Amino acid sequence: MELAILLGTLLLLLAIGVPVAFALLGATLVAFFVLDLPAIVVVQRMASGMSVFSLMAIPFFIFAGELMHRAGIAARLVRIAEAAFGRSRGGLGQVDVGASMLFGAVSGSAVASVSALGSTLMPMMKEKGYDTDYAVNVTSTSAVVGLLIPPSHNMIIYAAAAGVGVSVGELFIGGIIPGLLTGALLMFVAWLVAVKRNYPRGEFPGWPAFMAAFAAALPGLMTAVIIVGGILGGFFTATESSSIAVIYTLAVAVLVYRSLSFRAFLDATLAAARTTAMVLFIIGAASAFGWVLAILETPSQLAALILSLTDNPILILLIINLILLMLGTFMDMSPLIVITTPIFLPIAVGLGIDPVHFGVIMMLNLGIGLVTPPVGSVLFVGAAVGGMRMEETVKTIWPFYGALVAALMAITYLPFLTMGLVELMRG
Amino acid sequence: MLDRFATITRWLSRVLMFIGAAGIAVMTAIIGWQVFGRYVLNASPAWTEQAALVLMVWFVMFGAAAGVHEGFHIRIGVFVEALPLRIRTVCRALALLIIAACGIALAIWGTQLVLAVWSHVIPTLGISRGIAYLPLPVSGGLITLFAIERLAELAAGRERGRMEGRV
Repeated sequence: MELAILLGTLLLLLAIGVPVAFALLGATLVAFFVLDLPAIVVVQRMASGMSVFSLMAIPFFIFAGELMHRAGIAARLVRIAEAAFGRSRGGLGQVDVGASMLFGAVSGSAVASVSALGSTLMPMMKEKGYDTDYAVNVTSTSAVVGLLIPPSHNMIIYAAAAGVGVSVGELFIGGIIPGLLTGALLMFVAWLVAVKRNYPRGEFPGWPAFMAAFAAALPGLMTAVIIVGGILGGFFTATESSSIAVIYTLAVAVLVYRSLSFRAFLDATLAAARTTAMVLFIIGAASAFGWVLAILETPSQLAALILSLTDNPILILLIINLILLMLGTFMDMSPLIVITTPIFLPIAVGLGIDPVHFGVIMMLNLGIGLVTPPVGSVLFVGAAVGGMRMEETVKTIWPFYGALVAALMAITYLPFLTMGLVELMRG
Repeated sequence: MLDRFATITRWLSRVLMFIGAAGIAVMTAIIGWQVFGRYVLNASPAWTEQAALVLMVWFVMFGAAAGVHEGFHIRIGVFVEALPLRIRTVCRALALLIIAACGIALAIWGTQLVLAVWSHVIPTLGISRGIAYLPLPVSGGLITLFAIERLAELAAGRERGRMEGRV
Protein backbone atom coordinates (compact mmCIF):
# COMPACT_ATOMS: atom_id res chain seq x y z
CA MET A 1 0.00 0.00 0.00
CA GLU A 2 2.68 2.47 1.02
CA LEU A 3 4.69 1.34 -1.99
CA ALA A 4 1.72 2.04 -4.25
CA ILE A 5 1.42 5.54 -2.79
CA LEU A 6 5.15 6.18 -3.26
CA LEU A 7 5.27 4.98 -6.87
CA GLY A 8 1.86 6.44 -7.72
CA THR A 9 2.89 9.88 -6.47
CA LEU A 10 6.15 9.65 -8.39
CA LEU A 11 4.42 8.72 -11.66
CA LEU A 12 1.78 11.41 -11.22
CA LEU A 13 4.37 14.11 -10.53
CA LEU A 14 6.50 12.98 -13.48
CA ALA A 15 3.47 12.95 -15.77
CA ILE A 16 2.45 16.53 -15.01
CA GLY A 17 5.96 17.69 -15.82
CA VAL A 18 7.56 18.12 -12.39
CA PRO A 19 11.35 17.90 -12.84
CA VAL A 20 12.65 14.41 -12.00
CA ALA A 21 14.58 15.52 -8.89
CA PHE A 22 11.55 17.27 -7.38
CA ALA A 23 9.23 14.40 -8.33
CA LEU A 24 11.53 11.99 -6.42
CA LEU A 25 11.74 14.37 -3.48
CA GLY A 26 7.99 15.06 -3.44
CA ALA A 27 7.08 11.35 -3.58
CA THR A 28 9.57 10.67 -0.79
CA LEU A 29 8.06 13.39 1.40
CA VAL A 30 4.53 12.06 0.83
CA ALA A 31 5.68 8.54 1.74
CA PHE A 32 7.28 9.88 4.90
CA PHE A 33 4.00 11.45 5.99
CA VAL A 34 2.07 8.28 5.24
CA LEU A 35 4.61 6.17 7.15
CA ASP A 36 4.78 8.78 9.91
CA LEU A 37 8.58 8.96 9.77
CA PRO A 38 10.54 12.07 10.83
CA ALA A 39 10.99 14.18 7.67
CA ILE A 40 14.33 15.48 8.92
CA VAL A 41 15.70 12.11 7.78
CA VAL A 42 14.78 12.94 4.14
CA VAL A 43 17.09 15.93 4.22
CA GLN A 44 19.79 13.93 5.95
CA ARG A 45 19.57 11.11 3.37
CA MET A 46 19.76 13.65 0.57
CA ALA A 47 22.86 15.26 2.01
CA SER A 48 24.57 11.95 2.70
CA GLY A 49 23.63 10.65 -0.74
CA MET A 50 25.55 13.52 -2.29
CA SER A 51 28.45 13.58 0.19
CA VAL A 52 30.28 10.58 -1.19
CA PHE A 53 33.99 10.90 -1.99
CA SER A 54 33.85 8.93 -5.19
CA LEU A 55 30.94 11.01 -6.53
CA MET A 56 33.28 14.00 -6.61
CA ALA A 57 34.69 12.50 -9.78
CA ILE A 58 31.44 13.42 -11.59
CA PRO A 59 31.96 17.19 -11.61
CA PHE A 60 35.59 16.63 -12.62
CA PHE A 61 34.77 14.39 -15.57
CA ILE A 62 32.02 16.76 -16.70
CA PHE A 63 34.37 19.72 -16.33
CA ALA A 64 37.15 18.00 -18.27
CA GLY A 65 34.68 17.10 -21.03
CA GLU A 66 33.48 20.70 -21.32
CA LEU A 67 37.07 21.95 -21.48
CA MET A 68 38.00 19.41 -24.17
CA HIS A 69 35.01 20.41 -26.23
CA ARG A 70 35.80 24.14 -26.04
CA ALA A 71 39.54 23.72 -26.52
CA GLY A 72 39.03 21.90 -29.80
CA ILE A 73 40.36 18.56 -28.56
CA ALA A 74 37.21 16.91 -29.88
CA ALA A 75 37.87 18.34 -33.34
CA ARG A 76 41.40 16.85 -33.30
CA LEU A 77 40.02 13.44 -32.36
CA VAL A 78 37.64 13.70 -35.30
CA ARG A 79 40.62 14.18 -37.61
CA ILE A 80 42.25 10.93 -36.47
CA ALA A 81 39.01 9.05 -36.98
CA GLU A 82 38.62 10.68 -40.37
CA ALA A 83 42.04 9.51 -41.47
CA ALA A 84 41.34 6.01 -40.19
CA PHE A 85 37.76 5.36 -41.36
CA GLY A 86 36.89 8.11 -43.83
CA ARG A 87 37.34 6.18 -47.07
CA SER A 88 34.53 3.63 -46.75
CA ARG A 89 31.03 4.21 -48.15
CA GLY A 90 29.35 6.78 -45.88
CA GLY A 91 32.74 7.17 -44.25
CA LEU A 92 31.71 10.07 -42.05
CA GLY A 93 29.32 7.75 -40.21
CA GLN A 94 32.28 5.50 -39.33
CA VAL A 95 34.30 8.58 -38.44
CA ASP A 96 31.52 9.66 -36.10
CA VAL A 97 31.46 6.33 -34.24
CA GLY A 98 35.27 6.17 -34.11
CA ALA A 99 35.58 9.71 -32.80
CA SER A 100 32.91 9.00 -30.18
CA MET A 101 34.95 6.03 -28.97
CA LEU A 102 38.08 8.17 -28.78
CA PHE A 103 36.20 10.96 -27.03
CA GLY A 104 34.68 8.39 -24.66
CA ALA A 105 38.22 7.41 -23.76
CA VAL A 106 39.10 10.94 -22.68
CA SER A 107 35.80 12.12 -21.25
CA GLY A 108 33.40 10.45 -18.87
CA SER A 109 30.16 11.97 -20.04
CA ALA A 110 27.86 10.97 -22.93
CA VAL A 111 26.16 14.35 -23.05
CA ALA A 112 29.53 16.11 -23.39
CA SER A 113 30.41 13.67 -26.15
CA VAL A 114 27.29 14.26 -28.22
CA SER A 115 27.50 18.04 -27.96
CA ALA A 116 31.25 18.13 -28.64
CA LEU A 117 31.23 15.75 -31.61
CA GLY A 118 27.85 16.80 -32.91
CA SER A 119 28.90 20.41 -33.24
CA THR A 120 32.03 19.33 -35.15
CA LEU A 121 30.73 16.46 -37.27
CA MET A 122 27.12 17.33 -38.06
CA PRO A 123 27.99 20.39 -40.17
CA MET A 124 30.63 18.29 -42.02
CA MET A 125 28.09 15.56 -42.71
CA LYS A 126 25.40 17.97 -43.87
CA GLU A 127 27.86 19.64 -46.23
CA LYS A 128 28.70 16.31 -47.85
CA GLY A 129 25.03 15.48 -48.42
CA TYR A 130 24.25 13.28 -45.41
CA ASP A 131 20.73 13.61 -43.97
CA THR A 132 20.37 15.31 -40.62
CA ASP A 133 18.48 12.40 -39.05
CA TYR A 134 21.40 10.08 -39.90
CA ALA A 135 23.92 12.52 -38.43
CA VAL A 136 21.89 12.89 -35.21
CA ASN A 137 21.24 9.16 -34.86
CA VAL A 138 24.84 8.10 -35.42
CA THR A 139 26.27 10.76 -33.11
CA SER A 140 23.75 10.11 -30.33
CA THR A 141 23.87 6.33 -30.33
CA SER A 142 27.65 6.24 -30.56
CA ALA A 143 27.91 8.62 -27.58
CA VAL A 144 26.44 5.71 -25.59
CA VAL A 145 29.63 3.73 -26.32
CA GLY A 146 31.50 6.32 -24.25
CA LEU A 147 29.63 5.05 -21.18
CA LEU A 148 31.45 1.73 -21.53
CA ILE A 149 34.89 2.96 -22.52
CA PRO A 150 36.79 4.20 -19.48
CA PRO A 151 36.66 6.66 -17.84
CA SER A 152 32.92 6.79 -17.25
CA HIS A 153 31.33 8.80 -14.50
CA ASN A 154 28.27 6.59 -14.45
CA MET A 155 30.47 3.63 -13.50
CA ILE A 156 31.58 5.66 -10.50
CA ILE A 157 27.95 6.24 -9.49
CA TYR A 158 27.41 2.49 -9.83
CA ALA A 159 30.45 1.65 -7.70
CA ALA A 160 29.20 4.08 -5.03
CA ALA A 161 25.65 2.66 -5.16
CA ALA A 162 26.90 -0.95 -5.03
CA GLY A 163 28.72 -0.23 -1.78
CA VAL A 164 32.02 -1.68 -0.71
CA GLY A 165 33.79 -4.25 -2.79
CA VAL A 166 33.19 -3.00 -6.32
CA SER A 167 36.34 -1.47 -7.72
CA VAL A 168 36.12 1.46 -10.12
CA GLY A 169 39.36 0.32 -11.72
CA GLU A 170 37.91 -3.13 -12.50
CA LEU A 171 34.73 -1.58 -13.90
CA PHE A 172 36.84 0.60 -16.16
CA ILE A 173 38.80 -2.41 -17.45
CA GLY A 174 35.64 -4.48 -17.76
CA GLY A 175 34.08 -1.86 -20.03
CA ILE A 176 36.84 -1.86 -22.66
CA ILE A 177 35.93 -4.94 -24.77
CA PRO A 178 32.14 -4.35 -24.49
CA GLY A 179 32.76 -0.76 -25.58
CA LEU A 180 34.81 -1.83 -28.60
CA LEU A 181 32.20 -4.44 -29.53
CA THR A 182 29.31 -1.97 -29.29
CA GLY A 183 31.29 0.56 -31.33
CA ALA A 184 32.03 -2.06 -34.01
CA LEU A 185 28.34 -3.01 -34.27
CA LEU A 186 27.32 0.64 -34.59
CA MET A 187 29.95 1.16 -37.31
CA PHE A 188 28.53 -1.81 -39.19
CA VAL A 189 24.98 -0.44 -38.99
CA ALA A 190 26.15 3.08 -39.91
CA TRP A 191 27.79 1.54 -42.98
CA LEU A 192 24.66 -0.47 -43.94
CA VAL A 193 22.42 2.58 -43.71
CA ALA A 194 24.96 4.70 -45.60
CA VAL A 195 25.11 2.15 -48.45
CA LYS A 196 21.34 2.02 -48.62
CA ARG A 197 21.10 5.80 -48.78
CA ASN A 198 24.00 6.00 -51.22
CA TYR A 199 26.13 8.39 -49.19
CA PRO A 200 29.50 9.47 -50.66
CA ARG A 201 32.81 7.74 -50.11
CA GLY A 202 35.65 9.66 -48.49
CA GLU A 203 39.31 9.48 -49.44
CA PHE A 204 42.20 8.15 -47.42
CA PRO A 205 44.48 11.13 -46.90
CA GLY A 206 47.60 8.93 -46.76
CA TRP A 207 49.76 7.76 -43.89
CA PRO A 208 51.67 11.02 -43.40
CA ALA A 209 48.39 12.87 -42.91
CA PHE A 210 47.18 10.15 -40.54
CA MET A 211 50.35 10.38 -38.46
CA ALA A 212 50.09 14.18 -38.40
CA ALA A 213 46.48 13.99 -37.19
CA PHE A 214 47.52 11.47 -34.56
CA ALA A 215 50.41 13.63 -33.36
CA ALA A 216 48.14 16.67 -33.10
CA ALA A 217 45.62 14.75 -31.02
CA LEU A 218 48.17 12.91 -28.88
CA PRO A 219 48.34 15.41 -26.00
CA GLY A 220 44.55 15.20 -25.69
CA LEU A 221 44.55 11.40 -25.88
CA MET A 222 47.13 11.25 -23.10
CA THR A 223 44.31 12.20 -20.71
CA ALA A 224 42.95 8.67 -21.09
CA VAL A 225 46.36 7.20 -20.28
CA ILE A 226 46.71 9.41 -17.22
CA ILE A 227 43.29 8.58 -15.83
CA VAL A 228 43.23 4.85 -16.46
CA GLY A 229 46.94 4.37 -15.82
CA GLY A 230 46.80 6.47 -12.67
CA ILE A 231 43.96 4.42 -11.21
CA LEU A 232 45.24 0.99 -12.24
CA GLY A 233 48.79 1.78 -11.16
CA GLY A 234 47.47 2.79 -7.75
CA PHE A 235 48.90 6.29 -8.05
CA PHE A 236 45.58 8.06 -7.71
CA THR A 237 42.06 7.30 -6.59
CA ALA A 238 39.34 7.69 -9.24
CA THR A 239 38.44 11.08 -7.81
CA GLU A 240 42.02 12.29 -7.80
CA SER A 241 42.68 11.08 -11.32
CA SER A 242 39.62 12.94 -12.59
CA SER A 243 40.79 16.20 -11.01
CA ILE A 244 44.24 15.61 -12.54
CA ALA A 245 42.46 15.12 -15.88
CA VAL A 246 40.91 18.59 -15.50
CA ILE A 247 44.23 20.20 -14.63
CA TYR A 248 46.02 18.34 -17.44
CA THR A 249 43.34 19.29 -19.99
CA LEU A 250 43.61 22.92 -18.93
CA ALA A 251 47.39 22.77 -19.30
CA VAL A 252 47.18 21.20 -22.77
CA ALA A 253 44.50 23.66 -23.90
CA VAL A 254 46.34 26.73 -22.65
CA LEU A 255 50.01 25.79 -23.13
CA VAL A 256 50.06 23.34 -26.05
CA TYR A 257 47.04 24.10 -28.22
CA ARG A 258 46.64 27.74 -27.11
CA SER A 259 43.01 27.33 -28.02
CA LEU A 260 41.14 28.24 -24.84
CA SER A 261 40.14 31.86 -24.26
CA PHE A 262 39.21 33.05 -20.78
CA ARG A 263 35.63 33.44 -21.99
CA ALA A 264 35.60 29.80 -23.16
CA PHE A 265 37.07 28.70 -19.83
CA LEU A 266 34.34 30.58 -17.98
CA ASP A 267 31.65 29.03 -20.20
CA ALA A 268 33.09 25.56 -19.61
CA THR A 269 33.08 26.14 -15.84
CA LEU A 270 29.50 27.42 -15.83
CA ALA A 271 28.29 24.56 -18.03
CA ALA A 272 30.04 22.05 -15.76
CA ALA A 273 28.48 23.65 -12.67
CA ARG A 274 25.00 23.42 -14.22
CA THR A 275 25.31 19.78 -15.25
CA THR A 276 26.89 18.84 -11.91
CA ALA A 277 24.16 20.57 -9.93
CA MET A 278 21.48 18.83 -11.97
CA VAL A 279 23.04 15.37 -11.76
CA LEU A 280 24.03 15.45 -8.08
CA PHE A 281 20.76 17.01 -6.95
CA ILE A 282 18.94 14.13 -8.63
CA ILE A 283 21.33 11.66 -7.00
CA GLY A 284 20.57 13.22 -3.60
CA ALA A 285 16.81 12.98 -4.17
CA ALA A 286 17.20 9.44 -5.55
CA SER A 287 19.11 8.40 -2.41
CA ALA A 288 16.24 9.58 -0.19
CA PHE A 289 13.76 7.80 -2.47
CA GLY A 290 15.86 4.62 -2.45
CA TRP A 291 15.95 4.75 1.33
CA VAL A 292 12.15 4.69 1.49
CA LEU A 293 12.14 1.72 -0.91
CA ALA A 294 14.57 -0.05 1.43
CA ILE A 295 12.36 0.72 4.46
CA LEU A 296 9.42 -0.81 2.60
CA GLU A 297 11.59 -3.87 1.88
CA THR A 298 10.96 -3.47 -1.84
CA PRO A 299 14.31 -4.94 -2.90
CA SER A 300 13.75 -8.25 -1.12
CA GLN A 301 10.09 -8.43 -2.19
CA LEU A 302 10.96 -7.78 -5.82
CA ALA A 303 13.75 -10.35 -5.62
CA ALA A 304 11.31 -12.89 -4.20
CA LEU A 305 8.80 -12.07 -6.92
CA ILE A 306 11.32 -12.51 -9.72
CA LEU A 307 12.72 -15.70 -8.22
CA SER A 308 9.19 -17.11 -7.84
CA LEU A 309 8.67 -16.67 -11.59
CA THR A 310 11.77 -18.58 -12.59
CA ASP A 311 15.13 -19.73 -11.28
CA ASN A 312 16.70 -19.79 -14.70
CA PRO A 313 19.58 -17.26 -14.68
CA ILE A 314 19.19 -16.56 -18.41
CA LEU A 315 15.54 -15.62 -17.98
CA ILE A 316 16.18 -13.64 -14.80
CA LEU A 317 18.83 -11.57 -16.54
CA LEU A 318 16.40 -11.02 -19.41
CA ILE A 319 13.70 -9.87 -16.97
CA ILE A 320 16.12 -7.49 -15.22
CA ASN A 321 17.26 -6.15 -18.59
CA LEU A 322 13.66 -5.57 -19.71
CA ILE A 323 12.76 -3.78 -16.47
CA LEU A 324 15.84 -1.56 -16.73
CA LEU A 325 15.19 -0.79 -20.41
CA MET A 326 11.64 0.21 -19.57
CA LEU A 327 12.67 2.38 -16.62
CA GLY A 328 15.48 3.86 -18.72
CA THR A 329 13.07 5.33 -21.22
CA PHE A 330 11.30 7.30 -18.49
CA MET A 331 14.08 8.22 -16.11
CA ASP A 332 17.55 9.58 -16.41
CA MET A 333 20.52 7.29 -15.97
CA SER A 334 22.06 8.51 -12.73
CA PRO A 335 18.97 8.31 -10.46
CA LEU A 336 18.19 4.88 -11.89
CA ILE A 337 21.67 3.63 -11.03
CA VAL A 338 21.24 4.92 -7.47
CA ILE A 339 17.75 3.44 -7.05
CA THR A 340 18.00 0.13 -8.90
CA THR A 341 21.52 -1.04 -8.05
CA PRO A 342 20.61 -2.02 -4.46
CA ILE A 343 17.54 -3.82 -5.83
CA PHE A 344 19.01 -5.84 -8.71
CA LEU A 345 22.66 -6.29 -7.78
CA PRO A 346 21.90 -8.73 -4.90
CA ILE A 347 19.73 -10.83 -7.24
CA ALA A 348 22.50 -10.88 -9.85
CA VAL A 349 25.16 -11.76 -7.29
CA GLY A 350 22.88 -14.51 -6.00
CA LEU A 351 22.94 -15.99 -9.52
CA GLY A 352 26.73 -15.96 -9.48
CA ILE A 353 27.15 -12.89 -11.67
CA ASP A 354 30.15 -10.74 -10.92
CA PRO A 355 29.23 -7.18 -9.77
CA VAL A 356 31.64 -5.83 -12.42
CA HIS A 357 29.85 -7.77 -15.17
CA PHE A 358 26.47 -6.61 -13.89
CA GLY A 359 27.69 -3.01 -13.76
CA VAL A 360 28.76 -3.08 -17.41
CA ILE A 361 25.38 -4.58 -18.41
CA MET A 362 23.66 -1.81 -16.50
CA MET A 363 25.75 0.93 -18.18
CA LEU A 364 24.81 -0.15 -21.69
CA ASN A 365 21.21 -0.92 -20.77
CA LEU A 366 20.54 2.45 -19.14
CA GLY A 367 22.64 4.07 -21.87
CA ILE A 368 20.05 2.89 -24.40
CA GLY A 369 17.53 4.83 -22.29
CA LEU A 370 19.57 7.98 -22.92
CA VAL A 371 18.75 7.78 -26.63
CA THR A 372 15.06 6.86 -26.31
CA PRO A 373 12.26 9.39 -25.87
CA PRO A 374 10.50 10.68 -23.84
CA VAL A 375 13.49 11.22 -21.55
CA GLY A 376 16.61 10.73 -23.61
CA SER A 377 19.03 13.44 -22.62
CA VAL A 378 21.69 12.38 -25.15
CA LEU A 379 19.29 12.14 -28.09
CA PHE A 380 17.71 15.41 -26.97
CA VAL A 381 21.07 17.21 -27.08
CA GLY A 382 22.01 15.49 -30.34
CA ALA A 383 18.76 16.58 -31.99
CA ALA A 384 19.20 20.11 -30.67
CA VAL A 385 22.74 20.31 -32.08
CA GLY A 386 21.50 18.98 -35.42
CA GLY A 387 18.57 21.41 -35.43
CA MET A 388 15.89 18.73 -35.69
CA ARG A 389 13.02 17.62 -33.45
CA MET A 390 13.71 14.50 -31.39
CA GLU A 391 10.38 13.02 -32.57
CA GLU A 392 11.57 13.29 -36.19
CA THR A 393 15.00 11.74 -35.75
CA VAL A 394 13.57 8.79 -33.85
CA LYS A 395 11.71 7.57 -36.94
CA THR A 396 14.93 6.31 -38.52
CA ILE A 397 16.90 5.33 -35.40
CA TRP A 398 15.72 1.67 -35.35
CA PRO A 399 18.79 0.05 -36.99
CA PHE A 400 20.98 1.76 -34.40
CA TYR A 401 18.80 0.54 -31.53
CA GLY A 402 19.18 -2.91 -33.09
CA ALA A 403 22.97 -2.64 -32.83
CA LEU A 404 22.80 -1.44 -29.22
CA VAL A 405 20.37 -4.18 -28.17
CA ALA A 406 22.45 -6.86 -29.94
CA ALA A 407 25.51 -5.60 -28.07
CA LEU A 408 23.54 -5.63 -24.79
CA MET A 409 22.51 -9.25 -25.31
CA ALA A 410 26.06 -10.28 -26.21
CA ILE A 411 27.49 -8.53 -23.14
CA THR A 412 24.79 -9.97 -20.87
CA TYR A 413 25.17 -13.59 -21.97
CA LEU A 414 28.88 -13.74 -22.79
CA PRO A 415 30.47 -12.85 -19.44
CA PHE A 416 34.01 -13.31 -20.76
CA LEU A 417 33.65 -10.19 -22.91
CA THR A 418 33.58 -8.17 -19.72
CA MET A 419 35.41 -10.45 -17.32
CA GLY A 420 38.25 -11.63 -19.57
CA LEU A 421 40.45 -8.57 -18.99
CA VAL A 422 39.25 -8.24 -15.38
CA GLU A 423 40.24 -11.84 -14.57
CA LEU A 424 43.58 -11.20 -16.21
CA MET A 425 44.06 -8.20 -13.95
CA ARG A 426 42.97 -10.09 -10.84
CA GLY A 427 45.59 -12.67 -11.77
CA MET B 1 6.59 45.39 -8.81
CA LEU B 2 6.78 42.06 -10.65
CA ASP B 3 9.51 43.49 -12.87
CA ARG B 4 11.63 44.38 -9.88
CA PHE B 5 11.05 40.93 -8.37
CA ALA B 6 12.06 39.33 -11.68
CA THR B 7 15.21 41.45 -11.90
CA ILE B 8 16.26 40.54 -8.37
CA THR B 9 15.74 36.81 -8.87
CA ARG B 10 17.55 36.92 -12.22
CA TRP B 11 20.60 38.48 -10.62
CA LEU B 12 20.42 36.19 -7.63
CA SER B 13 20.33 33.15 -9.89
CA ARG B 14 23.26 34.46 -11.91
CA VAL B 15 25.33 35.09 -8.77
CA LEU B 16 24.52 31.57 -7.53
CA MET B 17 25.70 30.09 -10.84
CA PHE B 18 28.94 32.05 -10.66
CA ILE B 19 29.50 30.83 -7.11
CA GLY B 20 28.85 27.34 -8.44
CA ALA B 21 31.43 27.81 -11.20
CA ALA B 22 33.98 29.16 -8.71
CA GLY B 23 33.19 26.21 -6.45
CA ILE B 24 33.97 23.65 -9.15
CA ALA B 25 37.28 25.40 -9.97
CA VAL B 26 38.31 25.60 -6.30
CA MET B 27 37.34 21.96 -5.79
CA THR B 28 39.61 20.95 -8.67
CA ALA B 29 42.44 22.92 -7.10
CA ILE B 30 41.87 21.33 -3.67
CA ILE B 31 42.02 17.74 -4.96
CA GLY B 32 44.95 18.68 -7.20
CA TRP B 33 46.70 20.01 -4.11
CA GLN B 34 46.02 16.74 -2.31
CA VAL B 35 47.87 14.81 -5.04
CA PHE B 36 50.64 17.42 -5.13
CA GLY B 37 50.96 17.15 -1.35
CA ARG B 38 51.26 13.39 -1.43
CA TYR B 39 53.81 13.10 -4.25
CA VAL B 40 55.75 16.32 -4.06
CA LEU B 41 55.56 17.45 -0.44
CA ASN B 42 55.43 13.87 0.86
CA ALA B 43 52.63 14.80 3.20
CA SER B 44 48.96 14.19 2.48
CA PRO B 45 46.95 17.11 3.74
CA ALA B 46 44.21 15.75 6.01
CA TRP B 47 41.64 18.43 5.30
CA THR B 48 41.38 18.27 1.52
CA GLU B 49 38.80 15.52 0.90
CA GLN B 50 36.35 16.73 3.53
CA ALA B 51 36.75 20.34 2.47
CA ALA B 52 36.12 19.50 -1.19
CA LEU B 53 33.09 17.43 -0.22
CA VAL B 54 31.52 20.18 1.91
CA LEU B 55 32.23 22.64 -0.90
CA MET B 56 30.58 20.33 -3.44
CA VAL B 57 27.33 20.05 -1.46
CA TRP B 58 27.27 23.86 -1.17
CA PHE B 59 27.69 24.54 -4.85
CA VAL B 60 25.42 21.70 -5.97
CA MET B 61 22.62 23.06 -3.79
CA PHE B 62 23.22 26.61 -5.04
CA GLY B 63 23.25 25.38 -8.61
CA ALA B 64 20.10 23.31 -8.03
CA ALA B 65 18.30 26.44 -6.79
CA ALA B 66 19.52 28.50 -9.75
CA GLY B 67 18.30 25.62 -11.92
CA VAL B 68 14.74 26.32 -10.79
CA HIS B 69 15.13 29.86 -12.10
CA GLU B 70 16.89 28.86 -15.30
CA GLY B 71 14.69 25.81 -15.78
CA PHE B 72 17.50 23.36 -16.50
CA HIS B 73 16.26 20.51 -14.31
CA ILE B 74 15.47 17.50 -16.46
CA ARG B 75 11.79 16.59 -16.71
CA ILE B 76 9.35 14.66 -18.88
CA GLY B 77 7.68 17.08 -21.26
CA VAL B 78 5.85 14.90 -23.80
CA PHE B 79 2.69 14.16 -21.83
CA VAL B 80 2.13 17.75 -20.78
CA GLU B 81 2.89 19.15 -24.21
CA ALA B 82 0.23 16.94 -25.78
CA LEU B 83 -2.45 18.65 -23.65
CA PRO B 84 -4.51 21.72 -24.58
CA LEU B 85 -2.96 25.04 -23.61
CA ARG B 86 -5.20 25.74 -20.62
CA ILE B 87 -4.59 22.37 -18.94
CA ARG B 88 -0.91 22.70 -19.76
CA THR B 89 -0.79 25.99 -17.88
CA VAL B 90 -2.54 24.39 -14.91
CA CYS B 91 0.03 21.56 -14.93
CA ARG B 92 2.85 24.05 -15.08
CA ALA B 93 1.43 25.96 -12.12
CA LEU B 94 1.00 22.70 -10.20
CA ALA B 95 4.58 21.67 -10.97
CA LEU B 96 5.86 25.02 -9.70
CA LEU B 97 3.75 24.71 -6.56
CA ILE B 98 5.22 21.27 -5.92
CA ILE B 99 8.73 22.63 -6.44
CA ALA B 100 7.94 25.42 -3.97
CA ALA B 101 6.57 22.88 -1.48
CA CYS B 102 9.78 20.81 -1.78
CA GLY B 103 11.75 24.00 -1.19
CA ILE B 104 9.77 24.77 1.96
CA ALA B 105 10.24 21.20 3.18
CA LEU B 106 13.99 21.43 2.61
CA ALA B 107 14.10 24.77 4.41
CA ILE B 108 12.14 23.63 7.48
CA TRP B 109 13.55 20.16 8.04
CA GLY B 110 16.96 21.19 6.81
CA THR B 111 17.08 23.86 9.50
CA GLN B 112 16.06 21.30 12.11
CA LEU B 113 18.83 19.00 10.86
CA VAL B 114 21.43 21.78 11.02
CA LEU B 115 20.37 22.65 14.59
CA ALA B 116 20.39 18.99 15.61
CA VAL B 117 24.00 18.41 14.52
CA TRP B 118 25.37 21.90 15.24
CA SER B 119 27.47 20.70 18.19
CA HIS B 120 29.12 17.90 16.15
CA VAL B 121 32.51 18.85 14.77
CA ILE B 122 34.00 17.46 11.52
CA PRO B 123 37.33 16.19 12.90
CA THR B 124 39.61 16.99 9.94
CA LEU B 125 38.22 20.48 9.45
CA GLY B 126 37.42 21.62 12.97
CA ILE B 127 34.10 23.12 11.86
CA SER B 128 30.56 22.17 12.77
CA ARG B 129 28.85 19.35 10.88
CA GLY B 130 25.98 21.81 10.60
CA ILE B 131 28.02 23.79 8.02
CA ALA B 132 27.94 20.73 5.76
CA TYR B 133 24.12 20.51 6.03
CA LEU B 134 23.44 24.26 5.95
CA PRO B 135 23.29 24.50 2.11
CA LEU B 136 20.15 22.32 2.08
CA PRO B 137 17.88 24.70 4.03
CA VAL B 138 19.48 27.74 2.35
CA SER B 139 18.86 26.23 -1.07
CA GLY B 140 15.35 25.23 0.03
CA GLY B 141 14.58 28.89 0.73
CA LEU B 142 16.04 29.95 -2.63
CA ILE B 143 14.12 27.23 -4.50
CA THR B 144 10.89 28.47 -2.92
CA LEU B 145 11.71 32.06 -3.87
CA PHE B 146 12.49 31.17 -7.50
CA ALA B 147 9.39 28.97 -7.82
CA ILE B 148 7.18 31.76 -6.44
CA GLU B 149 8.70 34.25 -8.89
CA ARG B 150 7.92 31.94 -11.78
CA LEU B 151 4.40 31.35 -10.47
CA ALA B 152 3.90 35.11 -10.34
CA GLU B 153 5.09 35.41 -13.94
CA LEU B 154 2.81 32.58 -14.98
CA ALA B 155 -0.14 34.29 -13.26
CA ALA B 156 0.75 37.52 -15.07
CA GLY B 157 0.61 35.55 -18.31
CA ARG B 158 4.25 35.97 -19.27
CA GLU B 159 5.95 32.75 -18.29
CA ARG B 160 8.91 32.68 -20.60
CA GLY B 161 8.55 29.07 -21.67
CA ARG B 162 11.30 27.79 -19.46
CA MET B 163 11.13 24.26 -18.08
CA GLU B 164 11.05 23.17 -21.70
CA GLY B 165 14.73 22.44 -21.56
CA ARG B 166 15.88 19.16 -20.28
CA VAL B 167 19.59 19.43 -19.81
